[in-house]
Amino acid sequence: MLLPLSLLTLSLSSLFLFTFSRPLSQGFSNSTINLDDSLVYLWPLPSHFTFGDDTLSVDPDLSLSLAGVGGNSPILTEAFQRYLKIIFKHNSRVSGDNLRGGLIYDIGELKITVNSDDETLQLGVDEGYSLSIARTDGYSVIGKAQIEANSVYGALRGLETFSQLCYFNYESKTVEVYKAPWYIRDEPRFAYRGLLLDTSRHYLPIDVIKQIIDSMSFAKLNVLHWHIIDEESFPLEVPMYPNLWNGAYTKLERYTVGDAHDIVNYAKLRGINVMAEVDVPGHAESWGHGYPDLWPSSSCREPLDVSKNFTFDVVSGILTEMRKIFPFELFHLGGDEVNTDCWSSTPHVEQWLQDQNMTTKDAYQYFVLRAQEIAISKNWTPVNWEETFNTFSSNLNPLTVVHNWWGPGVCPKAVAKGFRCIYSNQGVWYLDHLDVPWEDVYNAEPIEGINDISKQELVLGGEVCMWGETADASDIQQTIWPRAAAAAERLWSRKEATAAINHTLVTLPRLQYFRCLLARRGVPAAPVTNRYARNPPRGAGSCYEQ
Amino acid sequence: MELGGPRCAGLVLLLLLISCGQGRGADPINIWPMPKSVTSGKQTLLLSNDFVLNTQGSKYPDSSGILKDGFSRFLQVLRASHVADSNSSYSSAHFPVCKGLHVVILSPNDKLQYGVDESYKLSVTALGAVYAYLEANTVYGALHGLQTFSQLCHFNFKARVFEVRQAPWTIIDQPRFSYRGLLIDTSRHYQPLIMIKNVIDSMAYTKLNVLHWHIVDTQSFPLEIPSYPKLYAQTRGINVLAEIDVPGHTQSWGIGYPSLWPSTDCQQPLDVSNELTFKVIDGILSDFSKVFNYNFVHLGGDEVNTNLCWLGSHYELLKKKGLNESEAYQYFVLRSQEIALSHGYDIVNWEETFNNFGSKLSRKTVVHNWIGSGVAERVVAAGLRCIVSNQDKWYLHYLDTTWQEFYMNEPLTNITNPKQQELVIGGEVCMWGEYIDGSDIEQTIWPRAAAAAERLWTPYDKLAKDPRRVTGRLAHFRCLLNERGVPAAPLNGPGRVAPEEPGSCYKQ
Repeated sequence: MLLPLSLLTLSLSSLFLFTFSRPLSQGFSNSTINLDDSLVYLWPLPSHFTFGDDTLSVDPDLSLSLAGVGGNSPILTEAFQRYLKIIFKHNSRVSGDNLRGGLIYDIGELKITVNSDDETLQLGVDEGYSLSIARTDGYSVIGKAQIEANSVYGALRGLETFSQLCYFNYESKTVEVYKAPWYIRDEPRFAYRGLLLDTSRHYLPIDVIKQIIDSMSFAKLNVLHWHIIDEESFPLEVPMYPNLWNGAYTKLERYTVGDAHDIVNYAKLRGINVMAEVDVPGHAESWGHGYPDLWPSSSCREPLDVSKNFTFDVVSGILTEMRKIFPFELFHLGGDEVNTDCWSSTPHVEQWLQDQNMTTKDAYQYFVLRAQEIAISKNWTPVNWEETFNTFSSNLNPLTVVHNWWGPGVCPKAVAKGFRCIYSNQGVWYLDHLDVPWEDVYNAEPIEGINDISKQELVLGGEVCMWGETADASDIQQTIWPRAAAAAERLWSRKEATAAINHTLVTLPRLQYFRCLLARRGVPAAPVTNRYARNPPRGAGSCYEQ
Repeated sequence: MELGGPRCAGLVLLLLLISCGQGRGADPINIWPMPKSVTSGKQTLLLSNDFVLNTQGSKYPDSSGILKDGFSRFLQVLRASHVADSNSSYSSAHFPVCKGLHVVILSPNDKLQYGVDESYKLSVTALGAVYAYLEANTVYGALHGLQTFSQLCHFNFKARVFEVRQAPWTIIDQPRFSYRGLLIDTSRHYQPLIMIKNVIDSMAYTKLNVLHWHIVDTQSFPLEIPSYPKLYAQTRGINVLAEIDVPGHTQSWGIGYPSLWPSTDCQQPLDVSNELTFKVIDGILSDFSKVFNYNFVHLGGDEVNTNLCWLGSHYELLKKKGLNESEAYQYFVLRSQEIALSHGYDIVNWEETFNNFGSKLSRKTVVHNWIGSGVAERVVAAGLRCIVSNQDKWYLHYLDTTWQEFYMNEPLTNITNPKQQELVIGGEVCMWGEYIDGSDIEQTIWPRAAAAAERLWTPYDKLAKDPRRVTGRLAHFRCLLNERGVPAAPLNGPGRVAPEEPGSCYKQ
């Protein structure tokens, strides 16, 4: 049963002014600072919710009951085990034995109902869920938390929300839910909520990629855009062209096909799609270490040699191999920052251009469109960086998703021409720009400048980009977090909930709280209010104030 | 190119591997910290996909699972780096296969204590279908052997299984110093449990064995009595040295018990004239003794500014006891030492206590150097034990202290008398927390703490006289930490530096 909407009348302004007979701060009483009880410490904020003023204890032996045709999924049982570790990480039974005497805990069971057994993870999969946490209603002995969702992935989002409502009470040594009963009905605003990782500028070990996938699931992000290859290195195995990964930095800094499968599967278990990218023809110098013929000449190593069929054989071979690994319907073909100067200065390419009666700009278009054809023939929807749209929009395949990055105003143009768009305006959503404060990340608006509702729907969502020039395994997480979380709320929560609020009083303490939640879960998220991202705390103090 | 059958392809690859192996000079030995004695060869063997632990003949019952869990962690660490192909048919046909690790532990006792025998012997023969052999006197020596073995195992990208190159290996190893510490400070910033566990795991990778937990300080008092991290550390062979830093760094105590403050204007040092002060210390140490069973407890005693407060608040009381202020400081420290001794602890105190009244200190005191160099030689000349942490070289929050300086800091500088050398029980790198929270602690610690860890583990004669000689090996270890999910920072540049530009981990 989905919760009746009548229970969920949304009245945000009144929610934030609520007062409580039992203050939330009892959960934080070991601290000398007091968190503002009137705020809702859920990140990202659910679309509809109501709550009360009761406190419920949660049984450390919380049991799971599964219902619905999709309830038997191992994705759910694995996720439940993960969240038990998160919720009960203070190991309350070690220190809290017998503290409650013979008392029964208020919440003894989590019931998850999933209405569909289709576990296909795709763009637009139903991520909605409802969650209720209430004391026993008289019909059953034990109180329950209940999650209901149409897909197993919606249930994962509900589990995340449930975990964020569970607090460890340091005095009673039990896990408690404050402000119960909770009735939440939630769904994302955008279907595409991405984070880009760049494993070419620095190799990221598999364990690190998995840590990042975990942290994405905490913020309800759902697309890992894997910029695997670039001009600096080619770390991925391509069985059909086994010399390509000679372009890896070292033999130790490579991903096998098995490793890539492992990452895709790990992400899927957390409801996260992996969109792979092959950035052609510009960012591809590393390809030629294994196959020098891909370079127009030894002094002109990118863009890839447009004049040779071999180039497109290799592109096709890579995509054939990648198709076996990446089931997501979107595939990124790059197409950005193509400097064609050295095409015209390489004699055999120049000759080819003349024979084809093409300018270098024509050849750039020819390359991109031919790569699109290859991707489409493999049943992929091509995504291209905005230069392709900016340069030859009328010739782009109409299936193309335009990936904005240069600045504002591109998605409005793309959707006006009927293309779909992903928003990544570098002025606000490039995480390697360390001087962008969290507010600017938070206030970015993917549909800015698009008034027509049917056009707004063409904006699939947005993505924060963690380019890897100065980010490796040692500093990537604190560069991503907490700013990526600011974007995550923008992409998940209702526009009305994230706008027109005093961000300093309402949003900042919530984000600071979420940053400390990440830290408690082992994610080294940086302080929120530092002038530059990734900087250390400015002095001693509480996590909740930094 | 037409691909041959798997046999044929395998043969080609085998030939390639052999020719690679013979073409180069001796491969570098990438083990950190460098063992006492190592010999290696040129052969490769593959780890069986069901690589097992065999404890036949071991005298250690492992009832608490320390060895078994250590072995599981070893497998986990390998498997987290790459996905092995469980159907790899490539292996047994072409290379000898190592079926498992045979561990023989001679002592049934797993009491973890200062000076516990941490030695081990590891041999990996190049004959196929055998076990690698690890022998140790205690389970903690065996854990170190497992760490070393894990550093010998690499993913073979052709066979898709793990391998040991440069076999046969014979390694005989034991630490140079018994005390190899890392200080963390959970007062200036709270460190979530999981971060403390992460630090403990990475300490084990580099064979550090004491987590000095500076739990409370001026800024906050986050402690109940946290037994959990202690248990976690113990199963990894790491002792926890708990510290309460009295009487100076204690303002936070009074938030719960205001009468510990001499007055509301004078919130530290603790009130020396109030019996409650010593009752609370006794209570804390009594609780400590139930949880922290290391030989030592750290009583701090540094940076005590008596001028500020004690005079005004308690002049009369001090006068009645016939104490001036520096005598009151001494009185406080010595009385706290008595309390610690009564709970069965030896005491560690920061060097100010020695510098001010060294001759009065309990003979069971270990003096913890920090202010500068040259202290250890005076301490051991006075017959007391010493831990070296001179801040100019081993304070991790000084970001401009390079890993080379961490590596070259020698605890026995100017101490030549062997009897006196023995009194230096080791050293410790300190991660003070003013600018350190969960977001940056690990990259501030690593890789520089690893440089000090080799100084403390490896025999003096095997240490590099010029740190440039170990750059490649330390870079390799830093990348290994990254592979294991530890965000160790690049070697190039100061502490916690971001990589300057794109490039390989092994070169940055």
